[in-house]
Amino acid sequence: MRSLGRLSTTIPLVLSTILIPLTVALAFWWTPEDFDQGLSQKIFYFHVPIALTSYVAFAFGAFSAAMYLWKRTEVWDLRSYVGVHSGTIWGTLVLLTGPIWAKASWGVWWNWGDRQINVFLILFLYYCAYFMLRFSLDEGERRRSASAVFALLGIGLIPLSFLAVRIAQTLIHPVVFSTGGAAMPNSFLLTFLVGFAGMLSLMVLLISTEMRGKRTAARVLQLQRVARGEDA
Amino acid sequence: MIPAALAIARVKFVLELRRREVIFAMLLFIAATIVIVHFALSGDTGAGSRAAAGMLWAAVVFTAVLGLLRTFAAEQEEGALDALLLAPIDRAAIWIGAALAQFGFLVVVEVVAVPVWWVLFFQAGGPSIGTVVVALLLANIGIALVGTLAAALALGARTRDVLLPVLVLPLVIPIVLAGVTATYGAFGEEVGGLRPLGFLALYDLVFVALAWGTSEHLLGD
Repeated sequence: MRSLGRLSTTIPLVLSTILIPLTVALAFWWTPEDFDQGLSQKIFYFHVPIALTSYVAFAFGAFSAAMYLWKRTEVWDLRSYVGVHSGTIWGTLVLLTGPIWAKASWGVWWNWGDRQINVFLILFLYYCAYFMLRFSLDEGERRRSASAVFALLGIGLIPLSFLAVRIAQTLIHPVVFSTGGAAMPNSFLLTFLVGFAGMLSLMVLLISTEMRGKRTAARVLQLQRVARGEDA
Repeated sequence: MIPAALAIARVKFVLELRRREVIFAMLLFIAATIVIVHFALSGDTGAGSRAAAGMLWAAVVFTAVLGLLRTFAAEQEEGALDALLLAPIDRAAIWIGAALAQFGFLVVVEVVAVPVWWVLFFQAGGPSIGTVVVALLLANIGIALVGTLAAALALGARTRDVLLPVLVLPLVIPIVLAGVTATYGAFGEEVGGLRPLGFLALYDLVFVALAWGTSEHLLGD
């Protein structure tokens, strides 16, 4: 079990140390410059993988929440918390890299006409509230279930936000920047996939490291109780 | 299950009739919000304007949050919540009852506020009232549902009153988006016919399902 725990940090550590610098190298030295957007398009290889990684982390948080409600074991509660936590960290990066790209390619820091970024903003606000909820409840069963239910409801919110933004947008503001167009050249796609794999492994690394930290903290607390002669 | 929910909703209405704690406050609040938004937009909310439509939805959502702050307050103060939890009824009945009451409060407030909004901003050329009413009713269901859900989650939280708006508002953003779009449609703008209304109905269904599925874990043990 212990060696398994170590592997769950070692493998993503190795992968992310290789893949993320590789993405930088591929993005700047291998892929041709985008005909339309020029150099600024390079941020695509970071911004989009970060956004997808953030969704994966939130999904992991929600999945673990469902598992907690089903199994009722504390470890799923911790996983759910760590997933949402990680999703929020990546989400912050999305909201930082998004405007940089928007400014470079559209000339504005924020584009209320862009579907993805608006949905993401709703989701980000929602999951930020998760921490307020969690930390204003006393530790225990009640906090674990309330956090789990809240994390799980986000799964309903994502598709509904997409639909709502779409309904409001295609009709109110015309979609100015269409995401369609010519298919990506292979070199773009490959660099993007390497970037995505790199970000994913970094996320796994962060999650498993935080999980280890949390478990160790719980174990220390338990040992302290034993040392004081209280019930373990 | 349904009779239990109805009984709980009835209790809340009777309490409200006797104490007049929530609805009156909601009415004053919605009036103040409309006035504030009107002046915040430098009075640019003339007849037929989109701003006037948006203002109604913003006011409705914020007013709903105000009402939600008292959702389980009576039960908690008098210790009735423990009794309800011990009662041989489905847990879902407790939040459905609370959501029904919340829905009723919202309807009462809107019955007063919407005609006033109408007279203030659209003496002529207002939106078609049928669409606005249907949109509001569907939105009320959604707001009452997710609001009661969030109120149940926040029960026992140290910062409950601060927490609740933070939990509810991101959840109702889709409702506002669709509601405003439906209201533009009511002005005769080409906004995809019944799609916004259909979306509001879908939103209600999704959250009924989610709330039902998790209701067992909602109110604590």
